[in-house]
Amino acid sequence: MTNKKIKYQPIQPEILELAAAHGNSPEAVLEVLNDIQAEHGGLSRQRITDTARALGLPAHRAYGIATFYSMLSLEERKQVLRVCDGPVCWLKHASVDAWKKKMPADDYTVERTSCLGLCDRAPAVLVDDEQAGPASPRDASRVTRGWRGGPTDYSKPRRGELRVMTALIGRIDPDSIDDALSHGVYDGLQSALQKTPEEVIAIVEASELQGRGGAGFPVGRKWKFVAAEKRTPRYIVCNADESEPLIFKDRVLIETNPHQLLEGLLIAGYACGASEAWIYIRGEYESQARRLENAIQQAEAKNLLGENILGSGFSFKIHVHRGAGAYICGEETALIESLEGKRGEPRLRPPFPPSYGFRGQPTAVNNVESFCAVPHILKNGADWWKSLTGYTTAGTKVYMVLGHVKNPGLFEAPFGLTLRQIIKMGGGMAEGSKFQFALCGGAAGTIVDKSLMDVPLDYASSQKGISLGAGAFLICDQSVSPVAFLRELLHFFAAESCGKCTPCRVGTWRSLEILNRLAAGEGRAGDVEELKALSAVMLDSSFCGLGQSVPIPMNSAMKNFGKAFEEAEK
Amino acid sequence: MAGLAASFGSGAMSNSMDDVAQQAKAFFIIGSNTTEQHPVFGTMLRRAVRFRGAKLVVADPRRIDITEFATLHLRQKPGTDIALVNGLMNIILEKGWEDKAFIEERCENFDEFKATVMNYPPEKVSEITGVPVEQLYEAAQIIAENKPTAVIWAMGITQHISGVRNVMDLANFQMLLGYMGKPGGGVNPLRGQNNVQGACDMGGLPNVYPAYQPVTSEEAQAKFQKAWGATSNLKVGAVVTEMMPGILEGRTHALYILGEDPVMSDPDTHHIRKALEAIDFLVLQEIFPSETSAYADVLLPGVSFAEKTGTFTNTERRVQMVRKAIPTQGDARDDWWITSEIAKRILAATPQRVQPEAPFAGWEYRDASAIMDEINVVTPSYAGITHARLEKGERLQWPCPAKDHPGTPILHTKALSRGKGRFMPIDHVPPAEEPTEDYPFVLSTGRVLYHWHGGQMTRRAKGLLEIYSEALIELNPDDAARLGLNGKNRVRVTSRRGSIEAQAWVTDRVPPGMVYANFHFPEASANELTIAALDPVSKIPEYKVAAVKVELVR
Amino acid sequence: MVNIKINNQSVQAEQGQTILDVARSHGLDIPTLCYHKDLSPTGNCRMCVVEVKGGRFLSAACVTSVWEGMEIQTHSEKVMKDRKLTLEMMLANHPQDCITCDVSGECELQDLAYEYKAVAPSWGTKGTRYPVDSDPNPFIRVDMNRCILCRRCVEACAEIQVRDVWGVAKRGFDEVIVAGAGTSMLEARCESCGQCVAYCPTGALSNKMNYGMARAHQVKKVTTTCAYCGVGCQFDLLVKNDKVIGVQSNPDAPVNGMALCVKGRYGYDYIHHPDRVKKPRVRRYLLDGGKKNREGSPWDWVETEWETALDITAKKLMEARDNYGADSIGVLTSAKCTNEENYLMNKLARQVLGTNNIDHCARL
Repeated sequence: MTNKKIKYQPIQPEILELAAAHGNSPEAVLEVLNDIQAEHGGLSRQRITDTARALGLPAHRAYGIATFYSMLSLEERKQVLRVCDGPVCWLKHASVDAWKKKMPADDYTVERTSCLGLCDRAPAVLVDDEQAGPASPRDASRVTRGWRGGPTDYSKPRRGELRVMTALIGRIDPDSIDDALSHGVYDGLQSALQKTPEEVIAIVEASELQGRGGAGFPVGRKWKFVAAEKRTPRYIVCNADESEPLIFKDRVLIETNPHQLLEGLLIAGYACGASEAWIYIRGEYESQARRLENAIQQAEAKNLLGENILGSGFSFKIHVHRGAGAYICGEETALIESLEGKRGEPRLRPPFPPSYGFRGQPTAVNNVESFCAVPHILKNGADWWKSLTGYTTAGTKVYMVLGHVKNPGLFEAPFGLTLRQIIKMGGGMAEGSKFQFALCGGAAGTIVDKSLMDVPLDYASSQKGISLGAGAFLICDQSVSPVAFLRELLHFFAAESCGKCTPCRVGTWRSLEILNRLAAGEGRAGDVEELKALSAVMLDSSFCGLGQSVPIPMNSAMKNFGKAFEEAEK
Repeated sequence: MAGLAASFGSGAMSNSMDDVAQQAKAFFIIGSNTTEQHPVFGTMLRRAVRFRGAKLVVADPRRIDITEFATLHLRQKPGTDIALVNGLMNIILEKGWEDKAFIEERCENFDEFKATVMNYPPEKVSEITGVPVEQLYEAAQIIAENKPTAVIWAMGITQHISGVRNVMDLANFQMLLGYMGKPGGGVNPLRGQNNVQGACDMGGLPNVYPAYQPVTSEEAQAKFQKAWGATSNLKVGAVVTEMMPGILEGRTHALYILGEDPVMSDPDTHHIRKALEAIDFLVLQEIFPSETSAYADVLLPGVSFAEKTGTFTNTERRVQMVRKAIPTQGDARDDWWITSEIAKRILAATPQRVQPEAPFAGWEYRDASAIMDEINVVTPSYAGITHARLEKGERLQWPCPAKDHPGTPILHTKALSRGKGRFMPIDHVPPAEEPTEDYPFVLSTGRVLYHWHGGQMTRRAKGLLEIYSEALIELNPDDAARLGLNGKNRVRVTSRRGSIEAQAWVTDRVPPGMVYANFHFPEASANELTIAALDPVSKIPEYKVAAVKVELVR
Repeated sequence: MVNIKINNQSVQAEQGQTILDVARSHGLDIPTLCYHKDLSPTGNCRMCVVEVKGGRFLSAACVTSVWEGMEIQTHSEKVMKDRKLTLEMMLANHPQDCITCDVSGECELQDLAYEYKAVAPSWGTKGTRYPVDSDPNPFIRVDMNRCILCRRCVEACAEIQVRDVWGVAKRGFDEVIVAGAGTSMLEARCESCGQCVAYCPTGALSNKMNYGMARAHQVKKVTTTCAYCGVGCQFDLLVKNDKVIGVQSNPDAPVNGMALCVKGRYGYDYIHHPDRVKKPRVRRYLLDGGKKNREGSPWDWVETEWETALDITAKKLMEARDNYGADSIGVLTSAKCTNEENYLMNKLARQVLGTNNIDHCARL
């Protein structure tokens, strides 16, 4: 019996309406909570409980979500300024406290946030849902008046760039499908629709396209698994939850050419026999999400999406799903959980998403950049793609070079670049800067000294001690302490660990505690030893890729800069 | 259980809870508030729905907790179960969903039954029951398409003047669909008390000896005469609801009551009190002073389950050990010892009554297991159930006719106990008391999760009382508004027999025009209101329908 | 069937069996905390990690299926080291209060910490993160400081009781188990069945009613059958000094397994209630030899010896039989009593008194 002491008030009509607007689907719990927060500036236990009841979920499910995603708040707030404290912004002296002092406290809640994916605009902040940067506390008053800084201009290629996916940057209006069409976007789709799905997969497989999320799994093989599953419906999911510090390429690809991504999803859907796709985009990319929604509408109007596309008999829908602040959702099974309206916690694997993915159905999950490469391969052929590089790994890659270089930002080039070449693409070391170390791949990459400068990079090079990851490189000069730098990375991982498994939940927290001490010059004997032990147990025993990859920067930093750590211990 | 006995020849739950929960494709719960009254079985059903995708049709006037898990909830008017079930069967026949082979091979009297069911077209049934026609079709379809469906009921079916007929109609229903004798199907009446099944099995009924050997049978009489050296006559005795009025009518002069509290649990409390005031002698064997002990001449302290060894038989005929964990409290004695001491004294005073050479003439029992040894001999369905086997960890469900028999989890697998199942034509009978202008509400009664029966045990459990501390009357918000209730007020509920006052619980668990009360609290026991109208066969009172009026207490 | 090697021993296993299943079926002890055979495995705690030849990482035995040719080390040096450190990570955020903890002696964390000689690190948080005894539920004592986030309570509530009271909130190091939207358990629709307590491996969820009453080694457990409804759940009564101090799930219970309801698990305190009738009582008029009188002092209760009470009872029943016939006596037996007791009541009515007027409250 329902307990008599508990009086259940009727669900607030507003929440019933919001739930109904999302089809009363339990999957939509995050969206409903997002909507409530947008309306009221925050949630409350009552609203959370009502949301759960309206969607037929237990209260803890909605509360678990409300407290999991960092952008959701139990308290009502007027405006929120989120200050990025990722390692790139840290190099630029980002400070939450300084912002707090400068912003009008009555109107703005100022809080830290993990990397905003605006590394080329560092130091960056998020004003409600608007991206801003470079912006320092000195800009506070103009920020309150609506100033947001400006996006980096990538319309001119750097010397040595080879542009495929980034070719149309600055040459088309990203909000105009006509512009896109007149520049050949959707030609790859046309070409695909004239082939059988099997042929499309064969081409992608022949192109040796590897997944661009960082792991490098062959895209064609993944699609083959999905297509081979008997069960329908099958789904395509685009991982646009780009939340790892240093990485912002997907944001640029979306904001400069959204139709290229839609085209890639369409081809994937056709090849895999899928009917629907979801683009899971991080909540901090609101303007990019809107751009995608606009592009989807335009594509639907041209029958490039929807029923019987271009008379081919192929029907396909694309949805945009916003995250709400959780790095872990970049892990593909956590992303799927989140898409299903749950906490973004990784699933047990196997089964893998190609056989058991979204809603338990066969699902292909790929990175934005992977999808963006596909139309070009369909249009120009697998051999063309392979011919773009003289290196063993096929095709081009979008790189990000950051930190103490003259000209930080993004560029596209074939595989096989060395760190030395990448620094050169970044215009060389900044004035007065001498190379000390680089963080390679992303936050979960390797911290290398100059000894690995000349290793050609691809997905296999991590075995040599230097990783490519998602293609981001943070170059640090002599002014940066490797110990303090590692502390910043652990600060990120501790903030973003989902908490599911013991080694990652406690290991990241404890490692941060030790590194805080070491970086502050208060190290104790045994600290480095303990860090190594924690790193070992996180690597061996963590549940998912997050915990397993935290030791990569830890071990490489301690190995390559052992002396700095030893000194910090004393 | 008379209804099932008539239809199948055996009156118990046909299947096991486990096979019902794990193998039924759907459940049809009618008149069972399963999650509150049989909570652990209720959770098994929830699991089946949640994790196995089993379908669930609940027919209950109240929005009881398990409706949260229901595929479909039918809110029939109280006392219209036969019309509802006939209506569903009418649709099943209309659609040709019946199991023709099962009916042909294993049942009889189908044509007469069918003629009756034909009188219940969906439109008419909808009018009687208040259930929309489309819901009737939907329910029939769910139940017919998900093979097998288990039918589950409890007091909500039996506590009506038409209780036996309700049960027979559900037996018809399961025969019609061929759901008898199969794992996951069957007729599954849930027994209320922990050992109702055992009390019935052991001859705690006026019409049968142990194992349902009829007292009207000369053969049975001879058997017990031989075993005990004396026995009773061939006449069916009085049921409790006849014994009580019998006091005032001069038929009943003495009562020996073991562990029951008729003042709380019998209908029309006022009438019961009057009767007990008039009795010549009442001996009560109890663990607590109760509402009834006020009328007792002698109060003999028995023991709680924690202090005794013996067996209980659960609702699925499973016989399980009860083990003594602590010494008897104070100078209390084992209940079996007390009974045998009384017996010994009477027999000592009138030795001529029994033939002493009979094997079980005497009353010298070493312990409970020795009593079970005697039960084994005179109770065919318990012949193989011994304490020794149970102590070894054997899991036994009767019938277990021999010491090497493994017990019987499902009844009627090959043939129904009486050979062929008999279809009974059953017509709807309105409740004994229907709402009138003066008594416009329908009262239904029952228990709640946190309390038990007359409340003797649970009102002495601190935590349970903390969560559910007083009687509550469930009242629909519309009615509450009409009465001017603001949710804090108390209400007075009055029937033609009595009146109680209690806090109102304004909730849409009850439909407009209905109130629901429990009988756990003596200061506001629903049985002050209930009617002692009995089912003509089972003599079960109609606890589930009475006409009442509801007033605001200012 | 697949052929695998565990600790260099060749073993055959069923396709789809987990490493844990295979190991345990061969008597090999792999420690677990979040795993429970009744619940879906989650692989959270990482205590059951084992080394699989060729694997980049250690594998959680509870969720990893065996495959042909798999070679497993369950107690290699690396495995033992990782398990120990994982335990120490839990201990770092677990109060060192075993000395006063109510589940000391039957705590799975305590057992493993001892077995692995884990040392509670000096770092971490110590017993102050959450309020102690933080929930007003009358039966269930909540102390989230002791929680190791195994989530067995969450699963027990969802998968056994199907009530979904418990959930996981926040993330990372702040992750915490909550009832509903961070409310009290009852507000989160708790039915107080205590399944979460039964499945909790530590003292995070324990029983309020017997807090402080007995240590595990001080209680005698007696398996018996519940005396409330007709489902027939079995459980263990916990007895200390001849008093029932609690009820504990018995995993071997045929009908219910570990599951119980609020009455079965927590409705036992009536057993020792002071209201219990502890001596036979008769009305004074019966001792005085007067006529029945329901007024005043003749109607007072007098406590007597058994002989007296039984003699009076027998005499009065015989009087009724002799004066009005056997059918003037009614016998109400009890659906709460045992089969044996009911059988004797039936025998008393029919053999001794000679009446079929026997009934019980089956109908009520």
